[in-house]
Amino acid sequence: MAFFEAKHLQKRFGDQVVLEDITLSFEAGQLSGIMGPNGAGKSTCFNVLTGQYKPDGGTVHFDGQDITGLPPRKISGMGIARSFQIMTLFDEFSAIDNIMIALRNTVTRAFNPLYDLPGDTTTMDRAADVLAKVGLKGRELEQAINLPYGERRALEIGVALASEPRLLFLDEPTQGLGVDGTARLADLILELKETYSIVIIEHDMKFLFRLADKISVIHWGQVITEGSPEDLRANEWVQASQLGEVA
Amino acid sequence: MLDVKGLRKIYQRGFINKEETFRLEANFKIDEPQVVGVMGPNGSGKTTLFELITGSNQPTEGEVLCAGQNIHDVKYRQRDRLAIHYHQSYQVRHFSKTKPSFMMEKPVSDYPMVHLFDEPQFNTQDGYIGFMLDFFKRLRADGRLVFLCVHPNEKFHVKIMREACDRYIFVQKGQLSFADDYDTLLENPDVMDYLGALAAY
Repeated sequence: MAFFEAKHLQKRFGDQVVLEDITLSFEAGQLSGIMGPNGAGKSTCFNVLTGQYKPDGGTVHFDGQDITGLPPRKISGMGIARSFQIMTLFDEFSAIDNIMIALRNTVTRAFNPLYDLPGDTTTMDRAADVLAKVGLKGRELEQAINLPYGERRALEIGVALASEPRLLFLDEPTQGLGVDGTARLADLILELKETYSIVIIEHDMKFLFRLADKISVIHWGQVITEGSPEDLRANEWVQASQLGEVA
Repeated sequence: MLDVKGLRKIYQRGFINKEETFRLEANFKIDEPQVVGVMGPNGSGKTTLFELITGSNQPTEGEVLCAGQNIHDVKYRQRDRLAIHYHQSYQVRHFSKTKPSFMMEKPVSDYPMVHLFDEPQFNTQDGYIGFMLDFFKRLRADGRLVFLCVHPNEKFHVKIMREACDRYIFVQKGQLSFADDYDTLLENPDVMDYLGALAAY
């Protein structure tokens, strides 16, 4: 069984079938991409995989365990972290505070009145390490709201990494980023790829073609094709499109 | 797989002096998994045909048997287990309801046998076309019946229809004509008129 495996997922909203039949698997140590046109069901798929929505049918297994329908809290506790398409940071807090709040030992001690978070230098060091990982060294004390968009995106990935995930899900990370921001994000993700197993949902095909080991294409709530970027790029229609010349 | 028997849909105008405004007639049977291309001018009845096959529109006469089951006798919400209709990217789900759902049958299938794609959005820039065409072929290999409706107004639309479809239905003024391959389809002068200069591609 693969590291993460979803089989025959189905999700309806009222009468509408949004996910008809989604079967996907992601391997440890790889970067897997999910892409699809607007309205294909990408975000719903992402939310079902990460436990925000319960599927109406099908199963999800992570590292051999059945996590179908478990609440997001439990899924995150098992080592799956996710970012959101719309950023979810504490704007008034500094970059390092945003990370510290998300660190695992802070979360577990949050209700301990004797715990002095601002004075906990070990936790602060660990938070600084996470910030360095996402390229925000030197920006520790900057208020989140004052960071440029690209750095906010990186900080958000940092928040997800703070929980020391075994699998990291990123929802449309290039959303709102310009060409430069996207290129910098791609570099960051290439670095993170060395350490983490990552799943990225993205509509930007060029971005995924550069980063992913395997890509699944979703449309009409189904996986319409999957393969390595090389396999997909070999398609005659992809060759004829603007993507044909992507290096 | 799909048996469209003496299907007729008549639209009328007026209350006392009824006047027929549109009439669609269809009578055909398909037993093999295949990709059927559907073409025809705007207002010819293509979408009405799809709605009748998926049970979202009620026929005036006749019936649609999908996997041997009359789709209009199946519970509304579950009709998409027999035939599913996508307009562009989204599933079409509105039903003209004739009786309460609890009085109707359960579908005989767990997954759609017939997939109808009504004018999917094809964009030559993004490369998705190739993945969609592969998907239609895979559905056929999995034993499903696929309908692909395209209104060609670009050369690449014609290329898609030639490449993806096993046979063709041409709809004009509510009448269907069938062709077993693209060359036969072009022998129909109405098709030539409809495609115009695009017929050459």
